[in-house]
Amino acid sequence: MTFVPVVYVKGQYNHLITRSLQDLGIESKLLPSSTTPEELERLKADGLVMGGGPQSVRQLENLPRELADAVQLIRGVTLPMLCICVTHQLLAKAFGGETDIAKKPEYGPVEISVDSEDTILTGVGPSFTAWESHTDEVVKSPPGFHLLAHSDNCTAQAMRHENGRIFGVQFHPEVSHTSKGSEIFRNFLQTVRQ
Amino acid sequence: MVNTDKSPTPPISEPRNSGNPSVKNKLSRSASIPSGGWLSAQVQGFHPASFLSAQTAKLREITSGKKAIAAISGGVDSTVATVLAKQALGDNLIPVLIDTGFMRLDEPEKVRAKLSSPPLGIKVRLIHAGGRFLEAVKGTFLAEEKRNKFRETFYQVLKDEAAREGCEFLVQGTIAPDWIETQGGIKTQHNVLEQVGIDPVATYGFKVLEPLADLYKDQVRSVGRQLDLPPDLAGRQPFPGPGLLVRCIGAVTKTKLQVLKSATQLVENKLGPLSYDQYFAAVIENDFSSDPTFKALRDNSAEALGLPTNEVRTDVFEQRVTGVKGDVRSYGRLCGVKLIEESREAYGWLPDKLGRLQSALVEKSQDLTRVAFLVKEKRGGGSLSVVIRAVTTRDFMTAAVAKVPWKVLKDIADSILDIEDVSRVYYDITPKPPGTVEFE
Repeated sequence: MTFVPVVYVKGQYNHLITRSLQDLGIESKLLPSSTTPEELERLKADGLVMGGGPQSVRQLENLPRELADAVQLIRGVTLPMLCICVTHQLLAKAFGGETDIAKKPEYGPVEISVDSEDTILTGVGPSFTAWESHTDEVVKSPPGFHLLAHSDNCTAQAMRHENGRIFGVQFHPEVSHTSKGSEIFRNFLQTVRQ
Repeated sequence: MVNTDKSPTPPISEPRNSGNPSVKNKLSRSASIPSGGWLSAQVQGFHPASFLSAQTAKLREITSGKKAIAAISGGVDSTVATVLAKQALGDNLIPVLIDTGFMRLDEPEKVRAKLSSPPLGIKVRLIHAGGRFLEAVKGTFLAEEKRNKFRETFYQVLKDEAAREGCEFLVQGTIAPDWIETQGGIKTQHNVLEQVGIDPVATYGFKVLEPLADLYKDQVRSVGRQLDLPPDLAGRQPFPGPGLLVRCIGAVTKTKLQVLKSATQLVENKLGPLSYDQYFAAVIENDFSSDPTFKALRDNSAEALGLPTNEVRTDVFEQRVTGVKGDVRSYGRLCGVKLIEESREAYGWLPDKLGRLQSALVEKSQDLTRVAFLVKEKRGGGSLSVVIRAVTTRDFMTAAVAKVPWKVLKDIADSILDIEDVSRVYYDITPKPPGTVEFE
């Protein structure tokens, strides 16, 4: 069976991601962010989802332990990877992008405009309602990444690396109120299985 | 090339954890993955039948013939946990129901009768501990302090019972959001210990068994149906462990509790037939903040609604309420918005506009967590406001404000204003996040 673990970085919805993946018929469980790429290989992981969390990642120095570990993992992993919320911001920072405090934070329902129905956003355009909970945001996407979606308050709601295997989303596809959440996971699993 | 950092990391056999003893605990638990092979294309994901057989086997193995006490409230989580444990342990399970004094009108007796009658036939010992709980929370008004005192009393009562019965284990209906919210510091759920660094064996003399800890509410209900629970029990309206304590916003007084019990009954009777996932009343004193920074909320509200400022009034309650912003607990303010009668009548029917009002206010003021819309008020009335809350949610991790018809809200408000001491009735227009389902 396809196995896609979820890396726990203290977010409320991390465990819910494992449920979303299990509901799609694949195997999933939480792993600590100290897990290494070698361990993932040994566990026969086919892909990886990085969860959200309460932290701010404006400075890569002095990150809390779980996020310092998560940066290592984000840089080291070769599996298809989806980073959600704070790890979406961490992904941006890890590859040379910028985050900052949002001019308008987003809590609860947000309308997502799909700029490109690419890979993980296939079939979810032109727009859908997603739920969010973030005070910081990605203000400059890193080199090698394409922005795929935006909202009124935030330009980087979704991004994809040009290698087509690394994705970041600011919103939460794992919560039941996000209208196209399971489609987005299904699309990601499509990439995982390729 | 993306994977720039190829520096070797030493392999580790044990997951390191970040100083929180619970993380390892929860991480090492497999998230109830059904063991494979028989997954059909139609039924993917969670399987109540295999979940049940795995959990009863596990409970039998762990308890190995020893006695366990089960804390049951009549809610779906603790009822499912108890029935499941009963199947595993038989007469070695001692179910107890604690009357905390914060349950609804006549609830403890009704629940006991319901559980003991067929088809369940579970004999439950009712422990009257209302006085003990009320004494414990006396003089506290901060939400977390109230919750902590409630939890401590709850386990002291169970400790006494377990010792009397010679039970080495406690079975309880903790579900995923309980430990997730406690671990994340959003709010202390009354049934979570290890996550806050309390060793139950050393402190209370029993090991805690939580067969439902990886499940969400909708999954618990499906296990309940699998256990042939009567539909009214499997589908029962959720009620928090600390009950009315956390709906009595701020300090608990006899007057507030009485008002709350009456208002709860009115709201449940009127909203029950509308099938929302949760609906209830809360009560709060009409003490308002004089902080000048909140003055701007009036203009912000008028702007968000497209109304002249003189048609809008905003009152920020002194007593704080619980919310969650950016995955962080926010113990912030509740803003009541009042419109002049004609505008109120128009906007009452426009829940989407009220949603925009809510987000416009919360995104501007860091200290603001929730927004409530005035439904009706009574001039010269008492010193309390009642806030009606109704949401739709699958799993209580996120919640949308229910679109209760304005006419229904007005009818409920009319009856609530007949209660002595109440002068205002609001409707909470805050989703989760940035609010939570309950107020504390």
